[in-house]
Amino acid sequence: MKRFIALGSAILLLAVVAAWWTNSRQPKPIVLIPTLTGKPEYCLTCHSDLREISPSHPVKTFGCVICHGGEPLALDANLAHSTMRGGANPSDLSVVQESCGGSNCHSGSAADNNDHIQRVMTSVQSTYAGAIANILYTFGVEPDLTARFGIHAVTDDVITTTTGLPALQVFDPTKQTNPSVLKFAANCLNCHINAQPLPGSQFDRLTGCAACHTPDVESFPKGQIHELTTAIPYTQCNTCHNRGNYDLRTMTFVQRTDQPLPTDRLHNYYQPIAQFTKCEYTLDCIDCHTRTEAMGDGDIHSNMKQIQYIQCQTCHGTPTQLPQTKTLTDPNDIAFRLAQLNPVVDLKLGDTILVTSKGEPLWNTRVLPDGTYQLVGKATGQVFTFKPVMGSGCTQNGIDQSSAYCHTCHSVQR
Amino acid sequence: MRPSFFHHLHPPTIPAKQSRWRYTLGAGGTAVFLMLVLGATGILELFYYVPTPDQAAQSIQTISYLVPFGGLVRNIHFWAAQLLLIVAAVHLVRVVFTGSYAPPRRFNYLLGLALFVFAILLDFTGYILRWDEGIQWALVVGTNLIKTIPLIGNAFYVVLTGGTQPGLPTLIRFYAWHIFGLALIVIILGVWHAFRVRRDGGIAVPPPPLRVDKERITRNELVRREVLAMLLTGAALILFAAFVPAPIAQPISDITIMAGDARAPWFFLWVQQMLKWGDPFILGVLVPLIVLAVLALIPYIFPKPADGELGKWFPRSNRLAQIVLAVIALLVIILTIFGSLPAS
Repeated sequence: MKRFIALGSAILLLAVVAAWWTNSRQPKPIVLIPTLTGKPEYCLTCHSDLREISPSHPVKTFGCVICHGGEPLALDANLAHSTMRGGANPSDLSVVQESCGGSNCHSGSAADNNDHIQRVMTSVQSTYAGAIANILYTFGVEPDLTARFGIHAVTDDVITTTTGLPALQVFDPTKQTNPSVLKFAANCLNCHINAQPLPGSQFDRLTGCAACHTPDVESFPKGQIHELTTAIPYTQCNTCHNRGNYDLRTMTFVQRTDQPLPTDRLHNYYQPIAQFTKCEYTLDCIDCHTRTEAMGDGDIHSNMKQIQYIQCQTCHGTPTQLPQTKTLTDPNDIAFRLAQLNPVVDLKLGDTILVTSKGEPLWNTRVLPDGTYQLVGKATGQVFTFKPVMGSGCTQNGIDQSSAYCHTCHSVQR
Repeated sequence: MRPSFFHHLHPPTIPAKQSRWRYTLGAGGTAVFLMLVLGATGILELFYYVPTPDQAAQSIQTISYLVPFGGLVRNIHFWAAQLLLIVAAVHLVRVVFTGSYAPPRRFNYLLGLALFVFAILLDFTGYILRWDEGIQWALVVGTNLIKTIPLIGNAFYVVLTGGTQPGLPTLIRFYAWHIFGLALIVIILGVWHAFRVRRDGGIAVPPPPLRVDKERITRNELVRREVLAMLLTGAALILFAAFVPAPIAQPISDITIMAGDARAPWFFLWVQQMLKWGDPFILGVLVPLIVLAVLALIPYIFPKPADGELGKWFPRSNRLAQIVLAVIALLVIILTIFGSLPAS
């Protein structure tokens, strides 16, 4: 019997050693107590190799959980990730309010320029209202081009523009009978940042804020880069705006056959048929298109044209008038915040910059002492200088120009 | 050698035949050991567990992942609790299949059965203390089952949960029951049960004139066997705890929205399986109570095992009791297996 007890003791000892060994193989927890929450989180135990998402969201201040959700104390991957918001993308519009919202963050007031979520939720980028309205009008379902439906239902209590709508209902394909509209519903509701993209690597893009602000989607879905930026290169816009074309006859999406071709900027850039494709390829889209145009102005509009307003004269003026400018005298001017987020220019008090007709600062421009203008590429840092048309012999009438006319000159012919 | 306190808990000598593994299966002694393990590991967990709905699951994450060896302690607590139910069931089966409940041990049989029921309640309350999505179904459905009891159901529900739906008062009550109320009852019943074993004449054997095998072992030998059982059970627990973690899930975000695993804890799967068939009161409350009543009545309604047949497996004289218990056990096992299959 004593031998059995000795053997039993040896077995128990072995079990203890095995337990000790398993325990010692567990990852050593790395704690982070972000200053904003003051609550410990252990995400960095596994994710210490992730780069800082942006200078505006330092991990020591924000931590991970305030944006991503998840179980901050769990060291088991499945449990830790079980309550994450929006999977790997907390900026998906279904969860963006919890992830990025808050009056001090991105659902603040329009006066503070912190109403990003409200603007995005109402913008055509996420409602898809323009395409839906056009299709319904084209096939005789609705009497005019006014938008009534969006991919998601949305309301707007404060209308600030003449084209603003009070609300959109959710577009419900089951209530439609027209075969073309049904085809549209089946094939085309995958566009815009509030919709999930179609399966297949050719349709890879992110949703929500990340659709634009998280660059280098080329490596997706192997692992998108943990980055938010306002220096959005043309390639990012191209993940949606250069993939192909609608075929209204068959109501399908026709992918470009020459894509994806990692060729040069010129050939990778332009879509062969649409007018905006003739753009000046050295510029990036965001060098001209303002934040209001891209993210909305807080109103619900019926289509893209109601929100696009940049014209030739915005930068070049008219034959009789110089473009609008503004000398920065207020240190709290939004121009400084924008320049700080993407420091390609060293904006100073007293600098004179171009402003749009709605007063949006073109903060990456500057009026030079000799009366010419300078623009620094927001994504490239490339410096361009240009002149006003006044006194140049240009005879066009600036008032008649629509936004798209910029591309008549800012173009390459292939 | 002067007997120690631990030796003194045992009779000086014990019948050799009835102290063999193959007779007792070591079940009663192992149950005592597991209760001690549960007490010790439970006390350690008390230092970190927070019994509030918004922090309970997180405090268990803290125990599992951040407290040094906390995960091991929690896993041992979990596996010891599950093993306790199995060992207690084996003990019950052994007692019935050997006719050991015969007078004067009828009352101690009831004490043992009560201990078994309270062990199940302890396991269930401990399971609820996780307060994560893994237990949400069992919590909501289990407590709603109380409401189906005629006349007193609603009042009983309020007493149990402290409100109209599970919340902070529920967790506090389950916590109090688990670490204090039920634990105290089990300690009292357990000591009483062990005391009655000796008061009733030790392990059941035929009276001296009918005894064939008169060989006896000393308590030193018995204690050695108990130590061996403890060592092996302890080793098994530690190994299990080291390699098979106790279940854990994400915290409950909204108690009114059913999420997570819609499955009862394994020891109630047989009841859950019956609930799929119809009336929740009859199948979820009445039938289990009838099963318990039948078990409790075994020493009283079935023929008394013959004196000469005590101390051995399957005496002819209590065949009926053996068949009844075997049928109940088989049905519970079959229902449990069906209940554990994924819903089709």
